[in-house]
Amino acid sequence: MLSIAAVIVMADYFLKIPGTSAVVTDLQNWGVILSAFALGFGAVNLFYVHTRHISRRTPGQWPYSIWLLVMLVLFTVVGVSLRYTGPEYQWLYNSTLFALSATIYSSTGFYIASGCYRALKARNSEAAVLMIVGLIVLLKNAPALAVAAPVLVTMENWLSAVPTTSAQRGIMMGASLGAMALGIRTMIGRETGFLGRLTEAER
Amino acid sequence: MLVTGRIFALGTLIAIWIFALVSMMMAKKKLPSFRKLAGLDALPEMVGRAAETNKSVHFTTGGGGSLTDPVLPQLIAAMAVLGHVSELCAKYGVKVVYTVFLAEMMPIATEVMRAAYIKEGKADAFNAESQVIYMSGDQFAYSSAVQGYAERERPAANIMIGPFYAESQLFAETFFRVGSIQLAGTARGYQIPFFAVVCDYLLIAEEIYAAGAYLSKDPAQVGSIRGQDLGKALALILMILGLLATVAGSPFIVNLLKM
Repeated sequence: MLSIAAVIVMADYFLKIPGTSAVVTDLQNWGVILSAFALGFGAVNLFYVHTRHISRRTPGQWPYSIWLLVMLVLFTVVGVSLRYTGPEYQWLYNSTLFALSATIYSSTGFYIASGCYRALKARNSEAAVLMIVGLIVLLKNAPALAVAAPVLVTMENWLSAVPTTSAQRGIMMGASLGAMALGIRTMIGRETGFLGRLTEAER
Repeated sequence: MLVTGRIFALGTLIAIWIFALVSMMMAKKKLPSFRKLAGLDALPEMVGRAAETNKSVHFTTGGGGSLTDPVLPQLIAAMAVLGHVSELCAKYGVKVVYTVFLAEMMPIATEVMRAAYIKEGKADAFNAESQVIYMSGDQFAYSSAVQGYAERERPAANIMIGPFYAESQLFAETFFRVGSIQLAGTARGYQIPFFAVVCDYLLIAEEIYAAGAYLSKDPAQVGSIRGQDLGKALALILMILGLLATVAGSPFIVNLLKM
């Protein structure tokens, strides 16, 4: 079934066959419906895990579990009863989730800084190259230094346009071919790791 | 009949199919040599360390993508690794926890992990509710939940395979700070440097797709990797010919690719 569905989707991409587009659209719609059901599974799992934390009074966890469930119910009730496009839901979203998401995203800067500190150590020749290149990029992005030493801009532009781009393209090509090989193994039923299949003997 | 602009791509796809199938048949007679992937070879060591320290193993496929995205193959590849890690964990009596971002992955991961525990004869040791935990479908809500999990549980090992986005550095640094030994793998080029800097082991791009074949040692699967390498050789030949043709002023290769 998996292979048949894959062949239909691929045929629709490469060939103009009357009727295949409708079949592909149907397959994609089934995917959307299944995803919606899976989201229900997720909500049930959240309820299960966090009600257990609350009932067991898990130290350092249960008050947050109450808060999570309250917010889960609140978002659902407001979204369903007043529509998720309405001002009430939008206010709720922007005042809580959006603000918190932006905060977590901003914290990435600090994590990058600590990662950078560890990366910029010349422990061996490869790390030394990384350190030198990293410093050039870092210094170029400091406006005052870029003005004082325009050569940094030229060097950084070359590093970005030539070695980095060529390496990225190599990775991209390798990844694409790897994905194709995985697709072939999946379509002919050799790669079944993601299905969790058991043989009769293993059952 | 054929869609213009996709004819060459179809031809390439057919060629790679042929390469892969022929290589798979040949591999049944003689197994091709396989470059060592240190990250995958280190999995028993990582699980062993978790067993020694009586801590858990954490697995994540990242906080991005969907099952309709082009990143889906990365999730499929990750499930093969999850299955293998679960087998090792079942064998050594270590708890493996998969924190879920995409709700669609929950039933898939549950089946993969359950099958692994059954294979090791420890079906009763698997508890889906506490080992496959849905965190959130929002990228940063998921990120903070995983970071919280890392701080509370301090797992001995952290395995991150899949399509990672901005959360890559958040996870890598947090798990580094709590002392987890880390294996990371992604085919998203922008995130590879973050993992390379912080993690103990790294799988780069195509290596994650090869993980299932590498771990299974199935000759047919390993053979398909040889087919993939032939595809790579074809791409290199085209690049060199394209370069020479362009330098010589001929648009032949460029036009061929646009067919």
